[in-house]
Amino acid sequence: MSLQSLRRGASGVAAARQALDLWQGTMKEVGGSFGSSVLSYFLFLKSLLLLNVFSFVINFSFITVPMLAYDHVPHVPPNVTFRGLELLTGAGYFRYTVLYYGAYRADSSTGLVHYNIQLAYFFTIAAYMVLCGAAVLYSMASSFKMNYVLSDPVGGGSWQLLCTWDFSVTNEKAVRQRKNNLRIQLKESMSERSQGTSLTPAEKMRHFGIHLGAWFISTSMAVGCGNAIYYLSQYEQQVIRLDWSPAREAETLLVPFVVSLINLVVPLFYSLFNKFELYSSQRRQIYALIIRNVILKMSILGILCYFWVNECWESMVGQALYRLVVFDFFFMMLGSFFGEFLSKVIGTRWIPGLGVPEFDVARNVLDLIYAQTLAWIGIYFSPLLPVLQIFKFLVLFYLKKVSLIQNCQPPRRVGRAAQMKTIFIALLFFPSFVGSLSLVAYTSWSLTPSRFCGPFKGLDSTFSVVVVWMNSLEKVPAAAWAVWVYANVVRSEIFYFLVTIIIL
Amino acid sequence: MGATASHLGKDLLSEYQELTFLTKQEILLAHKRFTELLSREDKNLPDPRAPTEAILTLPELKSNPFRERIVRVFSTSESRDGLTFEDFLDLLSAFSDSATLEIKSHYAFRIFDFDDDGTLDENDLEKLVNCLTGETDETRLTPDEMKQLISNILEESDIDKDGTVNLSEFQHVISRSPDFVSSFKIVL
Repeated sequence: MSLQSLRRGASGVAAARQALDLWQGTMKEVGGSFGSSVLSYFLFLKSLLLLNVFSFVINFSFITVPMLAYDHVPHVPPNVTFRGLELLTGAGYFRYTVLYYGAYRADSSTGLVHYNIQLAYFFTIAAYMVLCGAAVLYSMASSFKMNYVLSDPVGGGSWQLLCTWDFSVTNEKAVRQRKNNLRIQLKESMSERSQGTSLTPAEKMRHFGIHLGAWFISTSMAVGCGNAIYYLSQYEQQVIRLDWSPAREAETLLVPFVVSLINLVVPLFYSLFNKFELYSSQRRQIYALIIRNVILKMSILGILCYFWVNECWESMVGQALYRLVVFDFFFMMLGSFFGEFLSKVIGTRWIPGLGVPEFDVARNVLDLIYAQTLAWIGIYFSPLLPVLQIFKFLVLFYLKKVSLIQNCQPPRRVGRAAQMKTIFIALLFFPSFVGSLSLVAYTSWSLTPSRFCGPFKGLDSTFSVVVVWMNSLEKVPAAAWAVWVYANVVRSEIFYFLVTIIIL
Repeated sequence: MGATASHLGKDLLSEYQELTFLTKQEILLAHKRFTELLSREDKNLPDPRAPTEAILTLPELKSNPFRERIVRVFSTSESRDGLTFEDFLDLLSAFSDSATLEIKSHYAFRIFDFDDDGTLDENDLEKLVNCLTGETDETRLTPDEMKQLISNILEESDIDKDGTVNLSEFQHVISRSPDFVSSFKIVL
């Protein structure tokens, strides 16, 4: 009887999940006209949105609500009022509200319940990171299991092209277009095979030279942008420290503006290089594009992170991240405008030869991963940042959907959707999540919290909160098991070794 | 049987849930869409069969190049014409998200086997390519291109070199293509 009820329970959960399925009609419409690879972008966006909703819920309930219950009036100095500029800069009035780390104080115990804000803050964020990590790891593992074929299949794959006809495409025009594309691809693959893929040594040298040149240019662009951000941040630090008038505050917008501008423009250059380079397979082309973009974005983020040490620095970092997220949002919208709408106008009215643009799944997914990385870094410094992220993703979903239907055509090259999905999830985990996790871990383990604000003020490091708590717990016999767990497991290296083995 | 055309009994519903890969909601939706396809007289029959023309009006199948083959493969009648509700559920189950690779490749093979003889020979492959590239004269491949393509295909997949592709050779090729499972999908 129990097995049956277990099974019924499992199917009940699946049915409930289906009932709560957000945007199912839209997904079906997009998949029906554009196929599964474009659909994978929207599914990715939806799962990131749900992740942020979850993060908001736990942060709000465990950290913000107790803080608000204790002291719901923000301690605002007398001459600071709310001006509209705050929505953009995140500074000024917002600085003193619960949006940032600085407003949370350790000495909070209401009359009835002793609620340790320090521990709550630390553990909530830690638990959230662990759960996120587990979720991303799990989806990566299941994706790898399904799509374990990572190497190029034997032969030109005309059979593959035929067998992987996308049955979920239901729009008549889309079906006709796919048939056209398939015919073109079949002819291409046949002519490739008959020509043979042996190039003369001279041609090989030429290709190699072009590749080398492109890589050199793209890396030097990334380094150049990194330098620019470095000097800009230095300037900001020197100037802003002096006074805090509205004009100066507007100047703090300069760094995020430049960062987002770089993130928008430089990848377009990288896509341009693709036109000159000839890759042996489409997949290598996408890998190269992804690697270059990741190098650019990670180096910029790295330089910014290096800069953030200041007085009540956690809130400053939180503000900087807030600004980055806001500008990233604006520029994503701009990117949609330039990338898709303008391309369509150019392609149809002015230069008819170009045609309607394709929806660039790779670039858009990388933008999403970057946005989520910002949020993950920021969550320690600004617990309510997920609110902004949720709003951003909601608007982005509808914007991209409208832009897709109005401006784009389905991708010309059929196939490879499943492998792309695996690569994207792997990218989400490795640089993005692990990077932000290590940054937050480094911050909480080694850096001294600032002296005058936040829940951890006065301590040597954030982690000492746990140490203190454990020491106090030793006096309570009922909690002896927790102390034992702490002493033997968390402290021992064997635990981490085992975890690493399990993950790998 | 405990089902009239308008209402699905609870025992039958859970039985269907166990036998197919579909969830309860998907089965109920399938039932609703299926009864819409039936004519008024058929609705009162104990085990109604929806005619092929009606099934081909479903938006999910209307533009599919393999729609007629799909109905033929899943039909259990003598003349391979029309689907009962259980045939319809089999169809949706094979094309659902949770169906396994073996099930999907098995049905894909049967759908591509145009002459139903258990192997994919040159005629089947030719019909397959025409299905997917277009039916009008200007969109078809030329006879030379067709011959070249078919010999490429047989070179890639015919392991025992008997000139045809049987089920295990087909499944072997499919197993090397991770996109197959996500493409072979129809959801109501």
